[in-house]
Amino acid sequence: MSKPPEGAATAARSEATSRYDTVRLAHGSGGKLSLELIEELFVAVFANEPLRELTDAAIVANPGGRIAFATDSHTVTPTFFPGGDIGRLAVAGTVNDLAVMGARPAYLTAAFLLEEGYDMDELERVVRSMKATADEAGIAIVAGDTKVLQRGKGDGLFVNTAGIGFVPDGLTMGLDQIRPGDKVLVNGTLGDHGIAVMSRREGLELGVELESDVAPLNGLIERVLDVAPGVRFMRDVTRGGLAAVANEVVHRRAFGLRVFDVAVPIHDIVEQYSEMLGIDPLLAANEGKVMMIVPPDQTEAALGAMKAHPLGREAAVIGDIVKKPEGVALIETAYGSRRMLEMPIEEQLPRIC
Amino acid sequence: MPERDDVAVAQAPDAAAASADPQEGPAFDFRPETYKDAALVGRLQRRIAELADEIGRPTKLMHICGTHEHEIGRYALRDLLPGSVEVLAGPGCPVCVCDNEYINMAIQLSLTPGVILASFGDMLAVPGSIPLKGERRGDVRMSLLDARAQGGDVRAVYSVFDAAKLARENPDREVVFFSVGFETTVVAVAAMLKRGAPENLTVIEANYYTPPATAILPQLDGFDIEGFILPGHAATITGLRVYEHLNDHGIACAAGGFEPVDVLASVASLLEQIRDGEPIVANPYQRLVKYDGNERAKQELDEVFELAPIRWRGIAEIPESGYKLREAYRSYSAALRFADRLDEAELAGAEHPKGCRCAEVTLGQIRPDECGVFGKLCTPDAPYGPCMVSHEGTCRAWYVYGMHKEKLHVETA
Repeated sequence: MSKPPEGAATAARSEATSRYDTVRLAHGSGGKLSLELIEELFVAVFANEPLRELTDAAIVANPGGRIAFATDSHTVTPTFFPGGDIGRLAVAGTVNDLAVMGARPAYLTAAFLLEEGYDMDELERVVRSMKATADEAGIAIVAGDTKVLQRGKGDGLFVNTAGIGFVPDGLTMGLDQIRPGDKVLVNGTLGDHGIAVMSRREGLELGVELESDVAPLNGLIERVLDVAPGVRFMRDVTRGGLAAVANEVVHRRAFGLRVFDVAVPIHDIVEQYSEMLGIDPLLAANEGKVMMIVPPDQTEAALGAMKAHPLGREAAVIGDIVKKPEGVALIETAYGSRRMLEMPIEEQLPRIC
Repeated sequence: MPERDDVAVAQAPDAAAASADPQEGPAFDFRPETYKDAALVGRLQRRIAELADEIGRPTKLMHICGTHEHEIGRYALRDLLPGSVEVLAGPGCPVCVCDNEYINMAIQLSLTPGVILASFGDMLAVPGSIPLKGERRGDVRMSLLDARAQGGDVRAVYSVFDAAKLARENPDREVVFFSVGFETTVVAVAAMLKRGAPENLTVIEANYYTPPATAILPQLDGFDIEGFILPGHAATITGLRVYEHLNDHGIACAAGGFEPVDVLASVASLLEQIRDGEPIVANPYQRLVKYDGNERAKQELDEVFELAPIRWRGIAEIPESGYKLREAYRSYSAALRFADRLDEAELAGAEHPKGCRCAEVTLGQIRPDECGVFGKLCTPDAPYGPCMVSHEGTCRAWYVYGMHKEKLHVETA
């Protein structure tokens, strides 16, 4: 396939959208319309060499060493929500999965499952949002796939991303590195994404615009690892919130994780909304938060690096690893009383009264 | 936290005793930022310990609202009480006391062609008494979720107004609202019916009125509760006068709010009454509860509903403790409109599945962890009895917040 001259693709694309306002089955058929969509939307927007070649697979450079490899599929209602959209979510999600393993994310693939009739302008917005997020993370989307589902057979738009990142030599993070006395850090307020999306979905007016925290965290994580290379373990805090991650950490381990209720940063609006509807913000979803477990002597450095980064201004030490109780994540209240921080059981729904 | 008048706050717990007018309750004037205040909780905690010492014997108190159990668990408030003061959960979870008959009725109607069954999310997973076929876990009964899996059109709604909206959007269908709840829920149903509901909407009348249930508790064998934390939400409607009968049994009463300071303030108020041997109906939740309740709400309730006997699951049929539609509104009764579609024999089944001790838990006779299936066969993701289903359920709160574990003793490195 010959390379289109610079700038030509963008001009040609607007011609393509003027022909079709919505996605047609033929856009996923592998024929002429597929090629148009790929060249004039995906290649033009994602704009990088391996993708432009339109080969069956992208060939990329390998700096050597270990590779981290992850995939994530995304569906969200609504597609566009305060602070983000499914495109930003799809890129940040996979970037974060790689970054919390200590890898430097480098390349992503993107697969789109489109429902016949999906609005072409909306698709373009999603794709541009993916590109902007990829730029923010400093990665390239080098390969992709498009399928079109018959109307009624898909919920508008599903996006899958897969990505690879390169793991620096000498990095030894893992659950088995965790020791009693280690500190638990998060890079900011918890529950923002879950509550922002829920408020939009339920049509609830919060009075103040609350935005999802969806963001790629690889930059922040690199800064922290620069100054605190002894970080024991990290995981992005997503669905199930802090409760899920905390329980995954202690599951069948000979230590416990204690969270100090008052130390957890929670946005005022999230707190009020949660109170009103009987939802626990520690169980609500996040898309731009990481929990780190750090040895005590590097805690200050790690916290400082987080706070110095735009995505970590409200970072805090929220708890510690304790010898006992073993295998339990617990909350210590402002009153010194303690309860379990239980694994989320089902989707969070407002209660009867 | 903003600056506040520390002196006024510090005096608040003592004001319970000093109040000139017990019917309007002590002069609590907590500002919002203080309801969770750690210093104030600490002072209340010390006050409770002093009172417990003065009483000098074990004292049992009971709350009768599922939200109280939930908040007690969430803030681990039992940790803050002296060993001699026990707060038990009574029959306060609408999901847990809702009789089998209504759950079975909802299941049957959801499987009736043309019907949309609208229910609070909390009710969906509660098993009734219709056996679930092909289930390997044992004696497992059908819930509305199982009915949905079998093709029933079951929708989760947040209120009766959502159900009315569903009815308007589906004029060719019958929408049945599963009206489970106490005073706070039923008052919304009354308001909606009074203002004119769609013709294709009916309600399953599973509405419970709390005060008569508190009247039967003192008649139970071995009953040794000395004070009731009254349900703050329900009391905003009914007021507190309806609980005065408990004083005749020597039982102390205090309206309970739901923040840590509210709960502890009501405990302190009860202990003061018990120490003095002078039970009253105190109102430490004055910021929301009026002694005579909400007149307008009571009036609307009375226009649409009348009190009638109703079965409390696993407990008894209690006279005058259920809200039934009055004659003028009978056409909205699902039981009436669908009488010929209901299988009467199937409606009235065994109250609880084999081995389930929800009835005793609901009456405060045993702790959840004394039930043989708790945490084993019966967990929140696969509930066996109703108390494990709802967020208001005692068993669920105990399971989720770890109240069944020995005090979560922490050892640091």
